[in-house]
Amino acid sequence: MKKELSAAAKRKRLNHLLIHAGIILFAAACVYPLLRIFSVSLRPGDKLVSMDLAIIPAGATFISYTKLLGDTMFLRWLWNSLLITLATSFIGVSLASTAAYAFSRFRFPGKKAGMILLLSSQMIPAGMLILPLFLMIMKLKLMNTYLGMIIAYSVSSLPFSIWILKGYYDTIPRSLEEAALVDGTSQVGAFWRIILPLSTPALSIAFLFNFTTAWNEYLVARVVLFSSKQYTWTLGLFELQGQYITQWGMFAAGSMLVTIPVLCVFLYSSKWLISGLTLGSVKG
Amino acid sequence: MNILTSIGEVSWFILLVAAGVAALVGYLYSHFKFYSRSWFFPAVLAVFPALALAVFGGLLGGYAFKLWLSFLAAEAAIAVFFRYVVKGRHTVPYLLLAPAFVGLALLLVYPFVFEVYLSFHDLKLTTIMMWKNTGTLPFVGIDQYIKVFTTSPLSETTFWQLLLRTLVWTFSNVFFHVLGGFILALMLNNSIRFKGFYRTLLVIPWAMPQVVAVLAMRGEFHATNGFVNIVITRLLGFFPFLSHLGVAPVQWLTDYPLLTCTLINIWLGIPFMMVVILGGLQSISSSYYDAADIDGASYFQKLRYITLPLVRPVMMPAVTLGTVWTFNNINVIYLVTGQAGGTEQADILVSALYKAAFTYNRYSYSAAFAIVVFAMLFFFSVFYLKSFDAAKDER
Amino acid sequence: MKTKLLILAAAGALAACSRPVADTSKTIVVWEQEDAQVAPYIDSVFEAFKKLPENAGIEITRTHYQTEDLRSQFQAASLAGVPPDLLLGPSDTAGLYAVSGFIMPLDGLFDFSRYNKPVVEAITLDGHSWGVPVSNGNHLMMFYNKRLVGSSPPKTTDELFAFCAGPAKQLKLQRCMAFDMGEPFWMMPWLGAFGGWPMDGKKPTLDTQAMRDTVNFYLDLKYEKKYVPMECDYNCMDSMFKEGQAAFIINGDWAISMYQKQLKKDFGLCVIPKLSKTGLYPSPMVSGKYFMVSAGAKPEKLAILKRLLEFYTSKENQVKQYQALTRLPALKAAGAAPEITSDEVSRISLDQILKGRPMPMATEMRAVWDSARNYLGMATTRKLDVDTAVRKMQENTDKKIAEMNQ
Repeated sequence: MKKELSAAAKRKRLNHLLIHAGIILFAAACVYPLLRIFSVSLRPGDKLVSMDLAIIPAGATFISYTKLLGDTMFLRWLWNSLLITLATSFIGVSLASTAAYAFSRFRFPGKKAGMILLLSSQMIPAGMLILPLFLMIMKLKLMNTYLGMIIAYSVSSLPFSIWILKGYYDTIPRSLEEAALVDGTSQVGAFWRIILPLSTPALSIAFLFNFTTAWNEYLVARVVLFSSKQYTWTLGLFELQGQYITQWGMFAAGSMLVTIPVLCVFLYSSKWLISGLTLGSVKG
Repeated sequence: MNILTSIGEVSWFILLVAAGVAALVGYLYSHFKFYSRSWFFPAVLAVFPALALAVFGGLLGGYAFKLWLSFLAAEAAIAVFFRYVVKGRHTVPYLLLAPAFVGLALLLVYPFVFEVYLSFHDLKLTTIMMWKNTGTLPFVGIDQYIKVFTTSPLSETTFWQLLLRTLVWTFSNVFFHVLGGFILALMLNNSIRFKGFYRTLLVIPWAMPQVVAVLAMRGEFHATNGFVNIVITRLLGFFPFLSHLGVAPVQWLTDYPLLTCTLINIWLGIPFMMVVILGGLQSISSSYYDAADIDGASYFQKLRYITLPLVRPVMMPAVTLGTVWTFNNINVIYLVTGQAGGTEQADILVSALYKAAFTYNRYSYSAAFAIVVFAMLFFFSVFYLKSFDAAKDER
Repeated sequence: MKTKLLILAAAGALAACSRPVADTSKTIVVWEQEDAQVAPYIDSVFEAFKKLPENAGIEITRTHYQTEDLRSQFQAASLAGVPPDLLLGPSDTAGLYAVSGFIMPLDGLFDFSRYNKPVVEAITLDGHSWGVPVSNGNHLMMFYNKRLVGSSPPKTTDELFAFCAGPAKQLKLQRCMAFDMGEPFWMMPWLGAFGGWPMDGKKPTLDTQAMRDTVNFYLDLKYEKKYVPMECDYNCMDSMFKEGQAAFIINGDWAISMYQKQLKKDFGLCVIPKLSKTGLYPSPMVSGKYFMVSAGAKPEKLAILKRLLEFYTSKENQVKQYQALTRLPALKAAGAAPEITSDEVSRISLDQILKGRPMPMATEMRAVWDSARNYLGMATTRKLDVDTAVRKMQENTDKKIAEMNQ
């Protein structure tokens, strides 16, 4: 018996070793391009492409970073982006979480149609929306405002958030709520106290999605904003790009800097991605 | 002076954030006081997002409040409608949906109607002036739609070839996104060390600004200086027999532009799927596996009969939307081939559409084209969802 | 109660922050798509303009767009009735704006005889001038690395190829010369040297012997002589030259100051060498940068706009512009200024301009660029033979123009 166990433990260890190796291989493929960008940001003379493969290039310098932070309004742009992104993520997730609950737990006329409508909002090629979006933003007087950005972003990631949350709610057994309803809680109360805490993984996926989408968005920002004080970093970085000459050093430095917040959010989200039913109160 | 204004701005922002925090605290306070009343939750749902909008949109001044009021009015109208016309049967779900759908309608219905209008008229370079001055356009019926199917915005590729290429592009991308995402998620779902750290590394392609990520990857596919070809050359050095099998450095960008784009796009898309599937795996209770272990099920049996079916509800939206996005996504194609080579071998439907719209200013034609793309995606998703529902009923 | 107060306070704070409405009749909105290092210069001229006593109270807001964005945003803004007052950019999209009625003809407003003729010609369509030129050039030239080439650059392609075949081999360069072969803009000088030109009036003329010769010349450079890299776009050629891996590069006047900074004393500039086969000099497309006035600009603003543009292109500012950006003046009077005539770089640049030809402004040119890029790519990667590629280039251009204008 004991011998068998140790064999199983050995196999487990081997498994884990293989998993580690596999993940490290994938991770390398993910990290390597980032390192290349890092080396562009250290390279003097604005060269995007280089003939040598060294990560720390010859004559490496942090001048791109100091120039980016000192000569441009980069921090201001980061701040704008952060504000818009956070507002978008909170609003988007809270709108989606309730709408998804309606889709998951209620029967009502137009349910299917509503789900399809959500999807269809993603089906028009985005570039075609520039002109109508411009006209509408004009009519709503949202030119050059954070508000316009926040509304546009929250709404445009709603379909995904609602769908993913609905899918997740569907996996939560109804018996849980029914027990609470018997205890005298209202339907919405049950949602708030049982469903939401149990769906933290899906909520955090929705949050991450909202966050990264809004953080990296360009097209809508280009339409809505046109004063460099209000810019998000995406617009700001593209200030550095001209028809032929792009200041690649600063561009890469900026890209490194804006990647950091997103990575932080992901690192932090670990806690929330791994919870829900597996750690939750009820099994089965 | 500059310093003073910036200090003013910063303190304004601090004030703004403080106001947001105050609103949140106030909300929490009232939440725990009133949450059991039946009116409370719908009311909060209506007020809180709108209030948040108003707070963050505060820089706008009075206008934000007008907008906020009309938003509330729209929601109130919906609530009233359902209370008195539908006789209250479905009030709760409609109220829950109202904020999301008011926003969607605001942002997406108008552009859609606009595109439909354009597609039945004739807006192009020579009629822009007329449209601008008189606001009217010549009506051409379904002419534009006929042109979509009979002509092509590209020179060498017909519409149908483009469609085929787009389908291949979409499905190969989505397939590998799901496959790669699944494998990684399964690996990460074990109780191994450094899990959070690995996960963070693995999402880098998703976290990086896409433009830079694509340009960096594009560099790796360069014929002489790219990582991929250097590796191939080194491999050939170690294992000369490979060259007999036809392995050789490849001019990726000129000879296989679409393949290059696909590889890069797969690299970009895997992390997203991975995170979604990882979330889905969390929804599976471990008791299923415990039960299966007792029955002596193998790893693959567990995968086939427990993991896959249970992850499906969470994966399905990501797959459906992923398909729609990939079909319409030209970022990678544009960034990889738009600047060099310039051939049309990597163009898909949507990038061809943009060429018609932005190079040749054929707005109505491209609007009709966009509607056709829309219709294709629409029928695909309706069909796909139907089959998904059917599969669910079988279970 | 407490919460209500808090919310009220927040609301009050928000309401208090409505912004003062600016006097829009004195605010001038300028959109540009310049390279980033140009922005400080533009701003400095605007600042100087605002300081003049007669311009008190005038505000100028400058917004940068990428090339593609500028076009789509300007069109959208014009249709929505809120266009900027001025656009600063090259002439290639001007035809589009002019045909759409988004910019106004400026014949009556400015005296165009004060500017160099070719640069005005490049912004003339249907007999009207559509923009005020601020610089002359935007043309391709040849840069070389003195450390590798020495100080006497080749005068003809034979000399160039002799250098590439001989001394360059010893230098262990990656390639002898680099230029963006995928972009038809880089092909035009050679097309000219073979005796062709892509447009005749508004008619594309691509299916010509000159075009076939040019494409064959490309193939020869790439596959036979191997003087140019196999697969190289703008950023790749730029890096190769900056890193000293290529001795020559063909690039535009916008790159002058960048290469001067990078190569310092090794910086060399010359006209693109004469094509020995035909005895003609390559003729790059010459245009410039222009201010275009939106058709939606308010009539009461026109006087200010006229003052601003005349100030921007005054002799003094044109000379300053050359010193800051190495861009040649469009104003005749400034071209003769000693600061400019005494300078080696400007002399060569001017020499190259004289060998060039104005870039056609007609909208048909868009179809030419698009088709030429596609079939040039096919021919130089040997996916199509030269004759077929050139024939199809012409056919396809004609087809696209018909679709565009029918």
